[in-house]
Amino acid sequence: MITLSHHELIKFIVCIGAMLIAARLVGEFFRKFKMPLIVGELIAGILLGPSFLGTYFPEISKWFFNGTGNVGIALNGLTSISVIMLLFVAGMEVELSLIRQQGAVAFKTSLVGLIIPLGLGYFFGRYFYELFGESNANNILPFSLFMGTAMAVSALPVIARTLMDLGLFRTRIGMIIIAAAMFDDLIGWLLFSVILGLLNKSAGGVDFVYTLGLTLMYAVGMLTVGRFLINKSLPWAEKNFTWPGGFLSISLGLAFLGAAFTEYAGIHAIFGAFIMGIAIGDSVHVTEKTRDIVHQFVTNIFAPLFFIAVGLKVNFIVNFDIKIVLIVLILAIVCKLVGAGLGALWGGLSKKEALAVGFGMNARGAMEIILATLALQANLIGEHLFVAIVVMAVVTSVMAGPMLQLLLNPSVNTLKNAFIDNNNPASQKSE
Amino acid sequence: MNLVENPFKKIAIAVAFSPRCEALLAEAKQLQVKLGSQLVFIHIGKKTIHQEQYLKHLIHRFGLDANTNKIIWEEGETVETILTICQNESIDLLVAGALEKENLLKYFLGGVARKLSRKVKCSMLMLTEPNIHPTGFKHIVVEGSDHPKSEYTIATAIAIGKAYQAASLNIIQETDLSKMALIRHEELKEAEVEAIKEEFVKEEDLKLEEILKCNDCGGITVCTERIEGKPGYVISKFAREKQADLLVLNSPDKQMNLIDRVFPHDIEFALADLPCNLLIVQETQYTL
Repeated sequence: MITLSHHELIKFIVCIGAMLIAARLVGEFFRKFKMPLIVGELIAGILLGPSFLGTYFPEISKWFFNGTGNVGIALNGLTSISVIMLLFVAGMEVELSLIRQQGAVAFKTSLVGLIIPLGLGYFFGRYFYELFGESNANNILPFSLFMGTAMAVSALPVIARTLMDLGLFRTRIGMIIIAAAMFDDLIGWLLFSVILGLLNKSAGGVDFVYTLGLTLMYAVGMLTVGRFLINKSLPWAEKNFTWPGGFLSISLGLAFLGAAFTEYAGIHAIFGAFIMGIAIGDSVHVTEKTRDIVHQFVTNIFAPLFFIAVGLKVNFIVNFDIKIVLIVLILAIVCKLVGAGLGALWGGLSKKEALAVGFGMNARGAMEIILATLALQANLIGEHLFVAIVVMAVVTSVMAGPMLQLLLNPSVNTLKNAFIDNNNPASQKSE
Repeated sequence: MNLVENPFKKIAIAVAFSPRCEALLAEAKQLQVKLGSQLVFIHIGKKTIHQEQYLKHLIHRFGLDANTNKIIWEEGETVETILTICQNESIDLLVAGALEKENLLKYFLGGVARKLSRKVKCSMLMLTEPNIHPTGFKHIVVEGSDHPKSEYTIATAIAIGKAYQAASLNIIQETDLSKMALIRHEELKEAEVEAIKEEFVKEEDLKLEEILKCNDCGGITVCTERIEGKPGYVISKFAREKQADLLVLNSPDKQMNLIDRVFPHDIEFALADLPCNLLIVQETQYTL
């Protein structure tokens, strides 16, 4: 068995320590300016990576984060584990019954909000790929599908936080946005896994139809029978194991097994973890405290490691191309505003509310960055486009709050008014 | 003053000639006495002389006036026919016997009582253990969630509690904080989280206080309690633990179907395993 040498182990541990502390310090700095922690974590990565440290202090950078040898492999393994856990937590946030309960408006918002970005992203990816700095036409189908997916995903936590800050979280419009974003996430990650499956096939991997069959079987099985069995087993586990520590081990253990299965099936491990997250998170036996422990554990340790590693991988200064950034940004905003906005209009909301839904759903946040990182790792996109997508994810997340504030006066959208609105049949025409 | 004085003026009883038929009629009699309602007995199936005589005998035995009450015999698909009769007769409350728990297959396919509860447009009372000597509703648990329907549901539960001289009435506010994790993992401090939680519940508490102010609770001991967890599930669990004899819930916002059982709607947690008698309150045009 290959093990890290004494020197390598020290290097590995120092790297992790430095990454965690840098992510927290820079993250907290940006938090003072009301920016999401993730912005600081990314910038910490940029500072420690080739963009800054590698350029101005190459020797230090080489000692720490050269990304080669056993330490590089170990760090790479750690970021893979991190992204699996992040997707597991993202899955736990999806509430299938909420999607169902929000009914037609959420479904229409979500459906059109998916189809239009997917269509436009695919179209631009297929016919104007040079605009994104891509020249490789061999993988044109997966690339076009990726562009569609990249335009379609939303960042649930960013959306939830924005709605909370504006006092809209528990209103009808807030729940519509949340439910639609959850549905978008579910379909978006399924689609992205299929794209990775397509790539795998073109690289001579497992048969695509076999992969798709296994994926669907896993997803449907876990969301029905698997979810039922997990819900039935948790009370037994709670009675016999230490709790909530036992939940942490069991749930993460299942997440890794699910991830291993989908990786074996020929799609990325993240999908297995995501679906397992939905199945476990949906259980009535998962309390807020338990859920919170998992969230805190993953988002304060593994999320910073992942996001800082994003900055370590790519030189953001060299690969920053303002033309590509603007194209990606404008395309992303137009896709979501038109898609989710039209969907909400179709669902029966007013024009102003529909526009607000569009801006709410426009926030891409961490999910977009994860998507882009995996696409970069799979050589599906180049570094210029990767940087552009990361910038787009940050900008759309930061602009969601002010735009919602502008469009919906939160003072008249409080819980109380939502209560009154719900009593008014006219306001429920879309139900 | 009560928001609801007499919630159920016209009550339909779905009669099947099962071993629990007598007990169901005894419960119906008690409902009539307590609530002063008119009763409509519905039986779906072929009318035979034997059954007709048996039903008349029971009605006579329980002192149910054949002139003021009504018997309807119809043939056809049980659930759809009962629903049509309820609509035609402007029924306020449909009463049916129901098993506490059905096997998994039957639950997903739907037995008669559960099918009715998912489709009926008036209120519905499902009696899990009807008794030939009805014990009434002494311990009532009612949903007090932050929903426009809760006001009427609570008022109805209070009216029933007063009629039955209930010993206790627990109003349960279910707080689903699962979405809190969605927000807090971003970048909130513990104190900020607590402040958000307090804000979450403060407005709900005020609303509930207003509802209670508008209702005269008579001599019933009314307690309000907030429980964290999945709506529908936690209130059922509470009713079971407290050995309540009536659980009162809001009617669902839309008609339920199979998907609501696969991805359970709040009310499905109660229907999957009835903790006690279940009353689903629907504010119909007839009750106003």
